[in-house]
Amino acid sequence: MVLEKEIPAFLSWILPAALGWLIVVGALVAAALVLAVVFATIRRGPVRGITSVFNAVVATFVDVFSMSPRRIMALAWLAVKESIRKKVVVAVAVFIVVLMLAGWFLDPNSTNPGRLYLSFVMTTTSYLVLLLALFLSVFSLPGDMKSKTLHTVVTKPVRHSEIILGRIIGFTLVCTALLVVMGALSFGFVIKGLDHGHTLASADLHPASGEAAEGGENVPLVGMTSNEHGHRHEVYVDPSGATRTRLENGHTHTVTVEGSGDTATYRVGPPEGVLVARVPIRGTLRFRDPKGFDKDEGINVGDEWFYRSYIQGGTDAAAIWSFSGLKESDFPGERVPLEMTLGVFRTHKGEITREIQGSLSLRNPDTGLMVEIEIFESKEFITQKLWIPKHINEVSYSQVISRRVPRENGMEFIPPEDQLDKTLAKKSEYDLFQDLITPDGCVEVWIQCIEPGQHFGAAQPDLYLRAGDASVPLNFVKGFYGIWLQVVIVTSFGVMFSTFLSGAVAMVGTIGVLIAGFYAEQLVELGVGPKYGGGPFESFRRLVAQDNVMTELAPGLGTDLVKMADKILQPGLQGMSMILPPFKDFGCAAFVANGFDIPGDFILTRTVMALGFFVPLFIIGYLFLRNREVAR
Amino acid sequence: MQSDVIIETRNLTKVYRDFWGRQKVQALKALDLEIHRGEIFGLLGPNGSGKTTTMKLLLGLLFPTSGKALLFGKDASDVAKNERIGYLPEESYLYRFLNAEETLDFYGRLFNMSPKVRRQRVAQLINLVGLDMAKRRQLKEYSKGMTRRIGLAQALINDPELILLDEPTSGLDPIGTRNMKDLILDLRNQGKTIVMCSHLLADVQDVCDRIGILYQGELQELGRVDSLLEMQDVTEIRTTGLTKEAESEIQAIVEKHQGRVLGVGHPTSTLEDLFLNIIAESEAHPGRRVRAGEAADGS
Repeated sequence: MVLEKEIPAFLSWILPAALGWLIVVGALVAAALVLAVVFATIRRGPVRGITSVFNAVVATFVDVFSMSPRRIMALAWLAVKESIRKKVVVAVAVFIVVLMLAGWFLDPNSTNPGRLYLSFVMTTTSYLVLLLALFLSVFSLPGDMKSKTLHTVVTKPVRHSEIILGRIIGFTLVCTALLVVMGALSFGFVIKGLDHGHTLASADLHPASGEAAEGGENVPLVGMTSNEHGHRHEVYVDPSGATRTRLENGHTHTVTVEGSGDTATYRVGPPEGVLVARVPIRGTLRFRDPKGFDKDEGINVGDEWFYRSYIQGGTDAAAIWSFSGLKESDFPGERVPLEMTLGVFRTHKGEITREIQGSLSLRNPDTGLMVEIEIFESKEFITQKLWIPKHINEVSYSQVISRRVPRENGMEFIPPEDQLDKTLAKKSEYDLFQDLITPDGCVEVWIQCIEPGQHFGAAQPDLYLRAGDASVPLNFVKGFYGIWLQVVIVTSFGVMFSTFLSGAVAMVGTIGVLIAGFYAEQLVELGVGPKYGGGPFESFRRLVAQDNVMTELAPGLGTDLVKMADKILQPGLQGMSMILPPFKDFGCAAFVANGFDIPGDFILTRTVMALGFFVPLFIIGYLFLRNREVAR
Repeated sequence: MQSDVIIETRNLTKVYRDFWGRQKVQALKALDLEIHRGEIFGLLGPNGSGKTTTMKLLLGLLFPTSGKALLFGKDASDVAKNERIGYLPEESYLYRFLNAEETLDFYGRLFNMSPKVRRQRVAQLINLVGLDMAKRRQLKEYSKGMTRRIGLAQALINDPELILLDEPTSGLDPIGTRNMKDLILDLRNQGKTIVMCSHLLADVQDVCDRIGILYQGELQELGRVDSLLEMQDVTEIRTTGLTKEAESEIQAIVEKHQGRVLGVGHPTSTLEDLFLNIIAESEAHPGRRVRAGEAADGS
């Protein structure tokens, strides 16, 4: 799974994030206060102007902190009733129709049907519910103002803050109910769509070794199941009777055997592992260059996407993941599972159908002992699962080496060369947790490309240890929680805009913010000064003149002007990127669809982020509503 | 001790401006007004005279351009004043997808009433405005008269001290109008203060203690209805059982004292009284009241 942004630990994220939030909100408040004082002074003179602004600030605090839960819930209930009157349940009907159509078009025979089905239902649900949240939130208040029903509400002891909060809660409740229904329908749809069985008869099996069978020995049997959903599984029947299928299309089946010999009957169970919620233990990635020196990055093979860095094959170059805090108790069983999705870059075609070979080694960072675990064939675009035995008794290659880190004052060896115990490499057997993992649970996983002229690409999330899996339904719920957070943000923006804009304009405003928020990263890049092609003005000039983004513009007045305009625009873009919701960051569909547990830190950070947008939007909406004439 | 002045406006002015801040119309010009506890005050005036603007300024639905509007001594923009106010807008702006019970319960919740109090109050008010039979019907199915009645019920949900009624009898039939007027008088008798604006002068005359007449945003007249309508130089004597001869003698006496008889006749009842009498009698004695022949004779 591509994870371009590292998920920070909540506790290390919250303080800087809160500080950043306070700075941005503080700047906005200060700007608003200055403007308010200026306008009030112009209209009423300095003393009365400042007094009125002060009174307004006090009234804001009173209105926000003395809200009545009963009134808020009454207004929320009204919003729910209004939504029902607007027939929001039609959205569920639309969703059911979409699912029925999808049942025809989604291909369960694809190589990863789980990902296909999950990403489809989550994307469809989020589009439908977000669209609904948008429509409900932007048209409600303007509708009430137009029909004047708001007159009978604001002439009751209702605070404007309660009107805003009641609306947001009401519409969020409606969308929550829809999400629950759609989530249940989606989960049922995915389970049903992926469910399949295979048949297996005694005749489909034959001895793994022909000679041994003739000798009358009790030998293992192998065979293939029937073809269902576009695939069949290889089956291995152990002499003891234990039966399993090989992994195919990301899943296996349990096979139960009744009877023995030719009269044995085989029952193939439902697919297992088609839906998973892996809990990866991730390490930090560094690289080793062909000369054996540590580097932060590998080489650039010309890919425009900088996600992966590459290592050359047939050299000392390696991609090294450092893990820490590993405990034997986290890995029940005899082997530690490791999964990876490497990129491959070929400088010569070779035999195109043959995979590129690489090696997996482990190194103890304290002793320097490094043991090769496995030679593997890389599989592009597919997550490979490798197993690290806890007891390594087939050692093909081992060595004791230091880590070589270039420093300003020379090379640092960790551990120092003279402290290396070279005899460690002479053992014929190793214990994973005794010899290769340090007492505090640290180990390095080295991936190297064996074939000269070929390259492996690696990014930090590409390789992880898989200690165990989380609950799939719970992960599904967490995925929907991500959509729910987006609903809260959309509703808050919609209601906020609707306090001072007409319904249609509020909708355009909200959509505009969402689109801009979706590209917030690009705005940040434009704000800080893009690497290539210049800012908006320079880019536009290049577009019109069909100039290459890499070439320098010809010096002259035009160039100076566009560069100056970009410089002027930069602070504005930076400011905008700070207040726009990074909408893309809330998406959880990729986690669920790719079979990864959504980390608690991700959920916590996104929840706080959503809250960070909700609070200012609520206050802004309240201020706009309070300061507008409801009866105009 | 509670102040006797419930509403006070000082130099209250409202200027409507366009988007660019240019003056469009001066809807209210320096209104100075005091309305006292326990009176029924009527605001009269032709369309565009500033009645509704005044009402909206008092409710905080509009902000004054200059001047002040105080209710219970608090600024009109103060939400707390709404605890003691009931407001019936001109068109009963209510949520049409709710039924009568839901409507009143919703507004009761806005007053932070407990569920028990709400239930009692909702039942009481629905009974008061005569909507028991239609309390579970959505308001969109209501006639205009029924909508006015549920509108009035929501205005009374909090048992307010001050009730602002915008055209309270508009859309009501004569019975509804009479009931509304009786109710207004009854509320006044309970010590409540009522401010109403209306085009129907007869209604205002029937119920109001004091009136203010607005024209082009300015207060033209203010005072007690009876004193404003009183004609000081005309004397009215109403008697029963006089013969023609006695009438002639009285006319002679008037002329003897240099008076001038403006007219002698038999006063008529109001059409409203006639209509209500007929309805009341018909309810007491069901059946056809006027035969076809009699109707023709009458015509």
